Amino acid sequence: MAITVKVLNRPIAEASYLRATLGGMARTFKHMVNPHKVTVQYPEMREPVSPRWRGTHRMLTTEDGKAKCVGCGLCPTVCPANCIKLVPGEDEQGNRYPLVFEIDEFRCIFCGYCQEVCPEEAIHMGRHYENAEYSRASFVYDLERLTAQTHPVSQLWDPSDPAGE
Amino acid sequence: MIQAVFSHGGVIDPQTPIEDFWPFTILTIVKMVVVFTVYMVGVALLTFAERKISAWIQDRIGPNRVLWKGFGQVLADGVKNFMKEETYPEAAYKALFILAPMLAFVPAMVTWAVIPFASPLPTRWGLMSMAVADLPVGFLFTLAISSLGVYGIVLAGWSSNNKYALLGGLRSSAQMISYEIAMGMSTVCVLLLAGNVNLNSIVEQQATQGWNVVLLSVAFLVFFVATYAETNRLPFDMPEAESELIAGYHTEYSAMKFSMFPISEYANMVTASALTSLLFFGGWDIPFTTWDNVPPWTTLKTIVTLGVFAIKVIFFLFTFMWIRWTLPRFRYDQLMSLGWKVMLPAILAYVVIIAGTLLGLDAAGIARSSRAFTGILFGLNLACVGVLLFVLDRGRLLSPAQSRLKSAELSRLRQVASRSTLAPVTGD
Amino acid sequence: MTAPAAAPPGPKMITLTIEGRPVTVPDGTSILEAAKLAGILIPHYCYHPGLPVAGLCRMCLVEVEKAPKLAPACATSVMEGNVVHVHSPKALDARKGVLEMLLINHPLDCPICDQAGECELQDYTFQEGRADSRYHEPKRFNPVEDFGGDVLYVTNRCILCTRCVRFMEAVAEEPVLCVSERGDRAVIGKFEGDDLTHAWAGNVVDLCPVGALLSKDFLNKARAWELDRAASVCPNCTQGCNSVLEVRDNAVVRMKPRSNEAVNHFYLCDQGRLDYRWLNRPDRIEQPQVRTHGALVRADWAAAIAAAVGLLKGNQVHVVASPMLSNEALHLLARVINAQGGAGRFAVETGPEAPLPGVKDLALRAERAANVKGAELLGFAKGGDVLAGLTSAHVLIVADHDVAGLDAATIKRAKALIVIGTALDASLAHADLVLPIANMSEEEGSFTNLRGRVQRFFQAKAAPGMARPSWFVLADLVAALGIAKTTWSPGDVFASLAASHAHFGGMTWEGLGLKGAVPAGAEVAS
Repeated sequence: MAITVKVLNRPIAEASYLRATLGGMARTFKHMVNPHKVTVQYPEMREPVSPRWRGTHRMLTTEDGKAKCVGCGLCPTVCPANCIKLVPGEDEQGNRYPLVFEIDEFRCIFCGYCQEVCPEEAIHMGRHYENAEYSRASFVYDLERLTAQTHPVSQLWDPSDPAGE
Repeated sequence: MIQAVFSHGGVIDPQTPIEDFWPFTILTIVKMVVVFTVYMVGVALLTFAERKISAWIQDRIGPNRVLWKGFGQVLADGVKNFMKEETYPEAAYKALFILAPMLAFVPAMVTWAVIPFASPLPTRWGLMSMAVADLPVGFLFTLAISSLGVYGIVLAGWSSNNKYALLGGLRSSAQMISYEIAMGMSTVCVLLLAGNVNLNSIVEQQATQGWNVVLLSVAFLVFFVATYAETNRLPFDMPEAESELIAGYHTEYSAMKFSMFPISEYANMVTASALTSLLFFGGWDIPFTTWDNVPPWTTLKTIVTLGVFAIKVIFFLFTFMWIRWTLPRFRYDQLMSLGWKVMLPAILAYVVIIAGTLLGLDAAGIARSSRAFTGILFGLNLACVGVLLFVLDRGRLLSPAQSRLKSAELSRLRQVASRSTLAPVTGD
Repeated sequence: MTAPAAAPPGPKMITLTIEGRPVTVPDGTSILEAAKLAGILIPHYCYHPGLPVAGLCRMCLVEVEKAPKLAPACATSVMEGNVVHVHSPKALDARKGVLEMLLINHPLDCPICDQAGECELQDYTFQEGRADSRYHEPKRFNPVEDFGGDVLYVTNRCILCTRCVRFMEAVAEEPVLCVSERGDRAVIGKFEGDDLTHAWAGNVVDLCPVGALLSKDFLNKARAWELDRAASVCPNCTQGCNSVLEVRDNAVVRMKPRSNEAVNHFYLCDQGRLDYRWLNRPDRIEQPQVRTHGALVRADWAAAIAAAVGLLKGNQVHVVASPMLSNEALHLLARVINAQGGAGRFAVETGPEAPLPGVKDLALRAERAANVKGAELLGFAKGGDVLAGLTSAHVLIVADHDVAGLDAATIKRAKALIVIGTALDASLAHADLVLPIANMSEEEGSFTNLRGRVQRFFQAKAAPGMARPSWFVLADLVAALGIAKTTWSPGDVFASLAASHAHFGGMTWEGLGLKGAVPAGAEVAS
């Protein structure tokens, strides 16, 4: 069987090694004295995140510190990753509230549907990206943790650009 | 006691070398301590400089978190290296495994003994030479000792009992030997001109005749390239080519023993930079003036020349780093090809040319210190460099593995390629 | 649902067109029912097929050609040649207005309302209502009221359809509820001193189209859309009311009536609907256990069935069965009794009977078990001492019987004890073999109600551990004993039952369907 050989057509006349070497040196020197630094000094400086950024969740609270959630069950219903566990119950005043509200942030795909569907504006995606933990179990955020978090919440869409253009 | 040691019966001319035993010994010890300290601190700072310069070249910021502007990084690294676990491969030859890092480090250190880093300093006991040991055989000593450096690397590679380490060590020995010849030959030219192996004499010779980089350009180029190979710096860091050999000869090393190898590498760099400036850039000589080269020696002269020497050395150190972060690594066959097929013939021819020229000029009665002498040599060198670079360009001599096709052959192959396709071929 | 029985020699038939589809219905049928036959649902609130027509919500307004005004479909009888438009702009506009009026005071608390997801107000508003409200004044507010029994009245959500009032008046015939106040202050009220304690009062929760009447038992427990539903039969008395088991996370959380004109119409008594928790009991046997060296040891099914054969071979049996077992399980047990010799007995709990006056032949029956009739038909003796006649020659089989009150000494008389059941009572701890079975919510089967009607129930949740359906376990046992070939589905077991027993003769598993069947020749008058 015939084999096709790829013949490299090198521009022999232009392949000056010395010129290339010196050109490289000049290039690196130029960068050294006139650097285009793009590094962000991360812990001190932060790139601003988009108002639409969808990070780990936050549960907003009412003025008396209780979660706004009424346990309606829409977020576990709409959740495509099935990562929200909700058991509704009643508090002392007979109000509906979540007995158990857990979000498995490992399963979460951060689609933001839960925030979009929430009729009480209780559950929100956070504008937040520092999520390191020491164990898998601590990625299951319970109600206490969700309400205790203070990072800013996502707007899901940019008010100045609602069409996302 | 001290008084007794330093008291001297007669009046001593500060412009004559120290002759008394005690002052000489004690001042030498002081010089050793000072030089060692400055040297080691310099090496430590060099690692920091390397990281910073590489960062700048790559548009990064580099280490900047420890202490002021990241200068504490040096300390942090040192502490880290001391605290880390020393590991010994089970199959390693333990004695040599431990010895190897020291063998790599010591020669780099010792070479510095003979390097004069400033003009002599007048003291009340006499004129103190600004080299730790101003040996009459100065330059030969450096050549001899720097050759020993390869032992550390070869032994490290061998005693690790690791095939990658062994390959690294073997490459290192081959590379060192190949380039040492070219390096030695290039210094022959310097010796021809200076007529002396004492390094201070070489500085004096350049002060009067002009720097050797102008008079012996080809020798400088060869020496310059050879120092890179001798110090295992990119583009010649074949012994530790990480893409092929993991980490080469120090694959199995950890903690401070590992750290000794980079330290010796940087020490070698400093030595090589110092030698380059001594042999070809006038050492501590200040160009375009003879104020610094003639007695009477003063403290001011010493300080100024020391500064000039430092600037020269730092410039070459920077060049080491600049080149490292610009050029890619050679292929091993290219490395050998460059050493044996290009540099050795070129420098051999050049030695003959220089020797012949010197003979001719001397016979023609042109004084060595005259402007005509310098001018003629300069013109000759220009021509030599031009020829050399023209031949070297396009890398033909460096890439024997790359076959060059004649245009007729090329078009024939293209025709074949256009006729054959990857579609099913019948009857073949 | 309640298509009036289309008896051929009945009343005059009328043909009309609804949304372009021709329908033929008997004279006197309402347009709403006729539309159902044509497959068109006309939105409605106050109308319910089981209740007297009130015609007060005005939600079912439709356009009838040549009529001067829109007609309420529930209260308008069909006329020959009527052309009805349900979705004409005029009708839609009228209904949109009705919805807007209803929503003036209806709170938007769907997130905390148990009815959300099965709420007709929600559904119709979504279908045809306005997207927003033009009413910006504060909404009417009234506190939540406890109506007694299992019923909670959330006044704010009430749309005053009066289904509950009419149910208590016309069906339960115990008028407890009324409409108090007038105009925009009107609410449903109780007569002074009365409570919704009628045995069938819980049906008002099902009847309520919105979340105004809620079951206290189900309050805040689950959302309607999270539930898995399975058609079932209420196992709590011999009436055999058709029901729906609603399951969440493998636990039954609610039982609701399923309409069957021949049995329970649309209703389920409170006793029946609230007695489902035993289906979720946690202390279930999950593995077969065989007594080995004096102790019960877990075994796999093959070993357990082999052990059963070893115990039974050549011995007479005495079976104490549960009337909660399906026809299929009882049939297979009866085959074991017939082959080995011996007797089968069962006992049944009783309680007071509670009829629903508005529906013929519907009551909470005194005998509180599903399959009393089936057990009797299949040769099990009812009542008396279930251990009567037990001698040391018998192997005692306790098949899911509740052993409370049995004489432990008498049980010990048996040669060996095999327990086939869902849980192992302490008084049976000396059993030689324990076979775990599924309860009725975890298997398929059929019950025979007190009128001889055979009705299927379907699997609603998964059985725990290695427990298997009762017919499965007994079919394996029957096959291992060499009595019959093994059977692979409850339908196969039922086929063998139909072939061997006159009452079931001519019935097929598929033929039972969702409504059940009665024996040929014993047609129940509708």
